[in-house]
Amino acid sequence: MNQLSSRLQARWTWERWSYIAGLYLASIFAALILSALLVWATDGSWQDVFSAFIDGSLRNPGRWGLTIGYATPLLLVALGTIVAVRGGLINIGQEGQLYIGAAFCTYVVLRLGGPGPIVLIVALLAGATAGAIWAGIAAWLKYWRRVPEVLTTLLLVTVAAQLVGYGLKTTTLLLDRSPEHGNRNQISEQLAPGVRLPRVEIFGNSFPLSAFVALVMAVGLAVWLSRTTGGFRLTILGQNERLAQRVGISAPKYGTMALLASGAFAGLAGAMMLTGGDFGNYRLAPGFSGFFGWEGLLVALVARNHPLVAIPMAFVFGALRTGGGFLSATGVEREIANVTQALLVLALLVPAAVLYLQERRRQIATVEART
Amino acid sequence: MLGDFFSAVGDVLSNESTYSGGFRLAVVLAFVAAGEWIAERAGTLNISVEAMLLGGAFNSALGYHLTESVAIGILFGAIAGLGIAIVQANMSHRLSADQFVVGLTLNILILGVAGFLNSSIRPSTTRAHIFEVPWLVDIPLVGPALFGQRWPFYLAYLVVPACALILYRTRWGLEVRAVGENPQAADVSGVPVLTRRRQAIYVAGITSGLGGAYLLLGQVGRFESTIAGGQGFIAIAAVIFGGWTLRGAMLGCLLFGLVNSFRLTLPGLGYQVNSELLSSLPFLVTILAVAVIASRARQPAALTQPFVRGLN
Amino acid sequence: MNSLPVNSVANSTVDSHNTADAVTMSGICKKFGQVVACDEVDIKLQHGKIHGILGENGAGKSTLMKILIGLHAPDAGEIRVNGTTQRFRDPGDARKLGISMVHQHFSLVPALKVWENVVLGDHQKVYLSSFWKVPQRALENALAGFRSNEKRTRQQISEISARYGLNVDPDTRVRDLPVGVRQRVEIIKCLRYDPKIMILDEPTSVLSPAESERIFSVLRQVVEEENRCLALVSHKLNEILAATDDITIMRQGKVVEHLATSEATAPMLARAMVGREVSLTLSLADIGGNTKKISGQEKIDSTGTKPALRIHNATVTDKNGHHLLDSLSLEVQKGEIVAVAGVEGNGQTALDHLLSSLLKLDSGYVEVDGEEVPTGVPGAFVKAGVGVISEDRHDTGCIMDMSLSENLYLSHPKDAVSGYAMMNRTAMSNKSTELINDYQITASGPDAPMWSLSGGNQQRVVLARELSHKPKVLLASQPTRGLDVGAVEYFLEQLRQAAKNGIAVLLVSHELEEILELAHRIVVIYNGKIVGEMSRQDIDMQRLGMLMGGISEAEISPVSDT
Repeated sequence: MNQLSSRLQARWTWERWSYIAGLYLASIFAALILSALLVWATDGSWQDVFSAFIDGSLRNPGRWGLTIGYATPLLLVALGTIVAVRGGLINIGQEGQLYIGAAFCTYVVLRLGGPGPIVLIVALLAGATAGAIWAGIAAWLKYWRRVPEVLTTLLLVTVAAQLVGYGLKTTTLLLDRSPEHGNRNQISEQLAPGVRLPRVEIFGNSFPLSAFVALVMAVGLAVWLSRTTGGFRLTILGQNERLAQRVGISAPKYGTMALLASGAFAGLAGAMMLTGGDFGNYRLAPGFSGFFGWEGLLVALVARNHPLVAIPMAFVFGALRTGGGFLSATGVEREIANVTQALLVLALLVPAAVLYLQERRRQIATVEART
Repeated sequence: MLGDFFSAVGDVLSNESTYSGGFRLAVVLAFVAAGEWIAERAGTLNISVEAMLLGGAFNSALGYHLTESVAIGILFGAIAGLGIAIVQANMSHRLSADQFVVGLTLNILILGVAGFLNSSIRPSTTRAHIFEVPWLVDIPLVGPALFGQRWPFYLAYLVVPACALILYRTRWGLEVRAVGENPQAADVSGVPVLTRRRQAIYVAGITSGLGGAYLLLGQVGRFESTIAGGQGFIAIAAVIFGGWTLRGAMLGCLLFGLVNSFRLTLPGLGYQVNSELLSSLPFLVTILAVAVIASRARQPAALTQPFVRGLN
Repeated sequence: MNSLPVNSVANSTVDSHNTADAVTMSGICKKFGQVVACDEVDIKLQHGKIHGILGENGAGKSTLMKILIGLHAPDAGEIRVNGTTQRFRDPGDARKLGISMVHQHFSLVPALKVWENVVLGDHQKVYLSSFWKVPQRALENALAGFRSNEKRTRQQISEISARYGLNVDPDTRVRDLPVGVRQRVEIIKCLRYDPKIMILDEPTSVLSPAESERIFSVLRQVVEEENRCLALVSHKLNEILAATDDITIMRQGKVVEHLATSEATAPMLARAMVGREVSLTLSLADIGGNTKKISGQEKIDSTGTKPALRIHNATVTDKNGHHLLDSLSLEVQKGEIVAVAGVEGNGQTALDHLLSSLLKLDSGYVEVDGEEVPTGVPGAFVKAGVGVISEDRHDTGCIMDMSLSENLYLSHPKDAVSGYAMMNRTAMSNKSTELINDYQITASGPDAPMWSLSGGNQQRVVLARELSHKPKVLLASQPTRGLDVGAVEYFLEQLRQAAKNGIAVLLVSHELEEILELAHRIVVIYNGKIVGEMSRQDIDMQRLGMLMGGISEAEISPVSDT
């Protein structure tokens, strides 16, 4: 992936900053114009749509808290993606790892007795571990049988969904035994208030504590990658496996650790989604992962695999979700809301791609000039 | 317990519908795998085949919706696959973007676009006619499976051998194999490396689009965004399973198709099996099969390695 | 000497005496960014003659030839083929006019068969003519039997083999062929186009002296009997003197001299090529010549001390059953430079990989300072104090997408850690600046990305890294390949210094002159085995050449007696 780009600019000149900013602005503006045209074509009022969008993501009471709540798992998944990419591995099965993480977290919370905070912490760790194990299967197959991890992580997404689906149907595992859910045959019990993540309240906006955890992890990961020998070694492995072997970085060891970490981030994202309360009202049900695994990948992509850039990007993607959700709730046609959202995601992807390609071109030109 | 299992397997295997179902499912994979095989031999592990399959399926529905002709629908499917292939190929083998990133983005994007267009257009579709090949269809057990299907099925009989033919018997195919093995040497010999790689992806796009069209017009009959359901990925696995030979890949498709069909026929025969286990069966078998076979296979030496002249 | 009528009056008609000129290139300029590869180059190639193009690495000879075969477009200048001005868009255009090249690095795909390799890239003949004609031709093929085209190719191959004595089986996979035979396949591939103008770029770099001789006699036959034109690009004086009719010498993108081979002498050529007097005591021209005693440097006293590096009976077999190393044994003392001489492809790469922890021995062992080092274990040799300048720096030497300073810390990242387990970027930067100065690396600074450096400077970075960690043993594998003259001298001096500082230096090189200049002791590698050894005091060039060509000591002794 494009880790090149993050480290290639020798100098961050003022021109370069303004160029990048301009690129993003132009791209977003183009997306807005297109959506405005679309709204106009369907006899809507684009002013209404946009103000609804802003209302939904930021302005209305409680909305930016929700946006943060949505951004948190996106950020965590993106961090996992970044770890794997740095090690030269492509984990694209976060959707499944996240779901598995959420399921194991649920199981532990529901089955383990004891003081709430301890249960909660154990459950979160269980979620992370489960995600790691799920990614670990891919790592194991890669280094033991040389099966490409791209393929296994992908295939395991479906298997994860079925596995959790089975758990949700089985009383001894996750299915809610109380009679009030008799009509739904695949839903877990609700988490008791004592084992939920505390929520932070600021100006009528509330979001779970997990947001801070994710933030700290992003900063920590950025520091780890750029300032520690571990991060340096992982980057070496991602760049050149043979050189890594020569200087003492074992690919199976570091690669497996990177995939495990990557899965753990996704599993933790799932566990925190569940215990945080913004999703499924503290209950696990089919479809819980809700594309957060896939979207987190896009966040990493747009952030060009930089943990710190992933923070604002996750927020923007979260805002697109909450805004889009609000939009369809206010009576705008659901399709229009979806398209507007998709266009804005594209608007963020395009400049990242353009920048990457330009740098790549520059490099190729320099190298070609010498041969 | 074990006895039950074997009697179930026996029942399913002696049931004609297992085979016709299995071949139907295998043929979808075969369309995709044949093209993907060529793309991989040229050096691209093209994960956007899933998008090509889905896009092909949707566009064939659209084609049928607009013209009420199955043939044109199929053509539409191939065109959609080609269109997606053009994006993938030019992004990864002209602008040197990472092939997995491009593929993944395309998969997500096409899923969204097809879902959106489907919900706004709601194409009305149907399935193609069943065409039974005289006499051959009367072969016991596999006759109906091989010769009693809806007519787009038979396209596979053309597409798969054609893929083998162009790869092994044409100069183009030779060049494709060379760029997948040693792009530097091919380049020096005067083979346009990136062009060949792009063209190989175009072939994958066309066959996957056809696969999507067959899936829609030859099997399901109505578009849903879950229609591809990871079959593109299974087709990739089939290519790896087959050790990058077409014969092996087709064997893989057949195996995975039969497993899939197995799970579909089992409940019909009165066996109560856990549905989640059944649904994940094809994926589990795929992973297992690839894990057992993969390390013995010889993969194209330059698979997934981007080519830039002078960088190596 | 420089009397060729270069800028002849523009003339639309073709002079009759000009028809002997197969190719006239005049005023050719080619720039890559700031680098001038070719500067106003004029050159004439004639039918029935072998034209040598001599120059150091980076003199622009390869670029010039790439322009001639259409791989690069010149910025200025004119190419006339048989008197007609031509403009090539791609190698296909040149090939249509009968211009064909045998490349320096193999253009063969190991996984394909010989005949497939021979037709690869052929856009005119046999096989099918175009992708879009596939259905039509497929039908024809089906009618005529699929194998017909293969048959035609095979037939051509056997015809060519028979005519020139280049034996090769068209159905073998190239990966199963020894290097010498691969070179034959390259030449067959070139000859199959029936080229009027052949270009050979350093054709003997991978061949033993005997094999080279064979190839040149074939080429002489091709040129004289069939009136073809041949350009031989080389930096080996003896080869140019022995095989050519005319010589063009290039230096720094310019033609410095044209002359007939009969008028040329080795010192003259060497001076023109390098641009200054070169000491010819160990001249390149003497290689393959008479026995010559060379005055030794200080003798290394190895009695009683443990060797710094000891490889004992190292044997590795690849998955096809070929021996990469075949009970190879060698020892290097502290402060000693031992050179491994040999023709490329005889186990040098395996030796490089062995000391880079990339290869696990089937049997035998390696000791550093008397301690056995496990083979194939990540980082084991780095930990034991073995520095490696690997033969392919893209492979295991450096990382192009990292910065210069990061590249200096690849093997010992812990050295950058100061307090709190964090890598100190400022300290890294300072240390890197120091090394940049010490090793005269040209770069915009410690943060410059590695890819932005020229090949020679990348190589200096590798050298700086390996030496700055004070290794006990240094393996220098082809350390000067692709470097210009000045850089070569610098590198050799650094290696000599390293040995003086007590490092055991193992030099693996295909360049004899390099070996002769540095080594205290020479061992000859052939087929993964050490087949002979000689100390600096009794270097026998003839014996060395024969050992490299695979003639065993036993066979040699009667020869040197006479």
